[in-house]
Amino acid sequence: MSTPTPGQRAEAAGAAPEARTASVGIAMVGSGGDGVVLLGHLLLQAAAKQGVYGMMVQSYGPQIRGGESAVVLRVAESEIQYEGDQVDVLLCFRTSDMQRFQGTVRLSPHCHVLLDAHDDGQLPAWLGYQGTPWRFPFARIENGVEVPGEPKNMVGMALLCRMLGWPQELARTVLSERFGHRPPVLAKNLAALDRAWAGEAPAALTPLRGSGRQLVVESGNEASARGGIDAGMRFFAGYPITPSSEIMETLIDELPEAGGKLIQAEDEMAAMGMVIGASFAGVPAMTATSGPGLSLMTEMIGLSSMAEVPSVIVDCQRGGPATGQPSRMEQADLDHAIYGGHGDFPRAVLGVYDVVHAHDVMHKAFHLAETYQLPVIVLSDAYIAQRRQIRDPHGELPPPPRRRIWKPGDEPLRFKLVGEDVVAPFRIPGTPGGTYLAAGIEHTPEGFPTADTATHHQMNVKRFLKVEPMAAETAGWFRTLGRPDAKRGILAWGSTYGLLREWVVRHPEYRAFLPEILFPYPLAAFEEWRRGLEWLAVVELSYRGQLRRFLSGLTDMGDTIGLTRSGGVPLSGPELDQLVEGARR
Amino acid sequence: MTVSAKDYRSSLKPVWCSGCGDYGVLKGLTQALSDLQVPPEKLALVSGIGCSSRLPGYTNSYAFNSVHGRALPIAAGIKAARPEMTTVVVGGDGDGFSIGVGHIPHAARRNPDMMYAVLDNGIYGLTKGQASPTTDPEFKQERGLAGEDERPLKPVLFMLGTGCGFVARTHAGNLPHMREIFREAIAYPGFAFVHVIAACVTYQTPAYAKLLYERCELIPPDHDPTDLLAAVRMTQTPNIMLGVIYRRDPAHRAKGEVEMDEPRAAEVEVDKQGVEE
Repeated sequence: MSTPTPGQRAEAAGAAPEARTASVGIAMVGSGGDGVVLLGHLLLQAAAKQGVYGMMVQSYGPQIRGGESAVVLRVAESEIQYEGDQVDVLLCFRTSDMQRFQGTVRLSPHCHVLLDAHDDGQLPAWLGYQGTPWRFPFARIENGVEVPGEPKNMVGMALLCRMLGWPQELARTVLSERFGHRPPVLAKNLAALDRAWAGEAPAALTPLRGSGRQLVVESGNEASARGGIDAGMRFFAGYPITPSSEIMETLIDELPEAGGKLIQAEDEMAAMGMVIGASFAGVPAMTATSGPGLSLMTEMIGLSSMAEVPSVIVDCQRGGPATGQPSRMEQADLDHAIYGGHGDFPRAVLGVYDVVHAHDVMHKAFHLAETYQLPVIVLSDAYIAQRRQIRDPHGELPPPPRRRIWKPGDEPLRFKLVGEDVVAPFRIPGTPGGTYLAAGIEHTPEGFPTADTATHHQMNVKRFLKVEPMAAETAGWFRTLGRPDAKRGILAWGSTYGLLREWVVRHPEYRAFLPEILFPYPLAAFEEWRRGLEWLAVVELSYRGQLRRFLSGLTDMGDTIGLTRSGGVPLSGPELDQLVEGARR
Repeated sequence: MTVSAKDYRSSLKPVWCSGCGDYGVLKGLTQALSDLQVPPEKLALVSGIGCSSRLPGYTNSYAFNSVHGRALPIAAGIKAARPEMTTVVVGGDGDGFSIGVGHIPHAARRNPDMMYAVLDNGIYGLTKGQASPTTDPEFKQERGLAGEDERPLKPVLFMLGTGCGFVARTHAGNLPHMREIFREAIAYPGFAFVHVIAACVTYQTPAYAKLLYERCELIPPDHDPTDLLAAVRMTQTPNIMLGVIYRRDPAHRAKGEVEMDEPRAAEVEVDKQGVEE
């Protein structure tokens, strides 16, 4: 096989930055209508304008719409991929809404708590708050009842900006950009902001230094969508499913501008079929889904591999099986991604570390799909998909991967069994002399259906010949964290990266290895990395510990410890401390 | 350079049973393509799985013999990516009206420019004779097949219900008629459905095949194919009507077609202050 051009963004394996940054964590809790999510968006915009980094995660009560919601936002002087162990500020519009968020909101010992002056309820005991809250009349009360529609969140905006030492003009600019198209709303919100700015303010926090450079605010799903476009994807088909739907929604707006097409399919089988059809027609194509959709696509993921038609599938993992927990995250689709499907067929499986990576990994996904003519599954999760992140603007992007295209006079066999061209140039419909049959049925090198058992075996050999060069090319697709001489190791993957890059700084006796490609697994690098370790745990958010089980088939995992729990919420620092402590005993 | 019917044939010899109607369909289809002078490299021929879904393999085209029931989505992807391809989907009654039925109304809704021909033999032939969604209940009783009290699905009536703009029926034993219908369907600028009666010579009796053939009747010349209600009546006749049953003018709404779109609610400016979704 010819050596493919790597083409991806240069990224030294094993050299991820270690975060130690000045930051401020803020939790905002309210009911539907209080506008805490919008407040979080506005604060992120204000941070990004000053070159301050940050991220924001949302948590909802039992209902996805209309119930109470909590936003945890963290702003920092450098890029962060974790919302922090605890918050420095809690703004709670209604103490009664707090109860749903045990485990989501953790207060620092000196946390500033902002409550409504009219609220005589108690904060729940599990918060462990001993101080005296600072009170402000956010709500307007008439005849003992709260008047709905008051811009409480704009008051919150003013107070929080003042605590952070951010200028009033900045806050006004952010509001103007957000509401400029609705002048009456803007006027009302500005008035609330100014009123709160003129009054008393809570204590100031240690100010953060921003670079002054405008940064970009993006969600994980937006990053996946835009990463696809930047990787040359020009056809998308999908079916709405939480937590991946915003990938399709972003592409509805942005793919046509890039010259691409999109179909909202009737189900995930159709979505995957359309992707295969478009790719068969020569256009790089992808779909996005979550676990239940991945299950429905599975027969056709096999077809993509069998017919050697490139495809990319983004799976934003949620709790499973069946409907599971649609709004929660989990890392439990790994088995399905690696093994799912009948028969033997090659594929690639990539894991997403964070929102920035959600964009960049798409180039690698399309590179593998287009180069090796097979399906590539990209495993994101609800934690990455749904959070918003402040990142640097993209530098120069690598050119999109290019499929090798067949021309008249090239190799006459579409599915040649041996030799340099085991991945034959792709025949684009419309090319004279290139007609052939693509088939999910076993086929001869010409593409004709066959029931010949020897041919089936030879074709399996041929298809799996792709794995070796792919593994060689991707041998460095992993990241390591921590000091190379640390004696204790953590193997993890996916979104746990964000926590670990900060956690290992506080726990220098640990180092971590996180594969970016799960299949083919970068085994040699892992074996090299684990040398000298006295203790190794596999940390993953799946009940059965799917990564550790997978690796047990590849290497000796006998001395390793599985630190797992079902997903739902991502790991926090304190929880990882506990897991590790528990395993040491 | 003119393209003849045989230019659309691959070197592969069909493995259909001797006397199978699908031979006729292959012939009628290649003739129609030759009539339209579609270059083979501009032809995308897509199928799922079943006896009739083997057809693309016997053609010289960009062909795709995919998985059971999913031919329409694959064709939709091809057409979206490369609209210049003349796109034809073929398959059986099980492939289309059982496992793949969920895709049909949506193909009709999206109305891509392609022909979908269902070669209906009323049986699962490839898996050796189980009942299909179009199997006649009396035949099921005779053969002891499952679902003997289940009513068969009526493909043409079903397709009229989907809003498909072109619905026709032909018989695999009537080559000139089939050629003409395929030609019209491929030329129709939208999603065109052709119901092809193609009896199974192995799992149905010759007497049954003969009965089907005898029950076929050409649509009377005074039928107005733009009249949806007249088209529906064409499905309620004792005989099996062959011809273009419904053909909506691609540019116009058909006679008898009910206005389904609700008037749009006036856009209301909701003043919710800073509270925005």
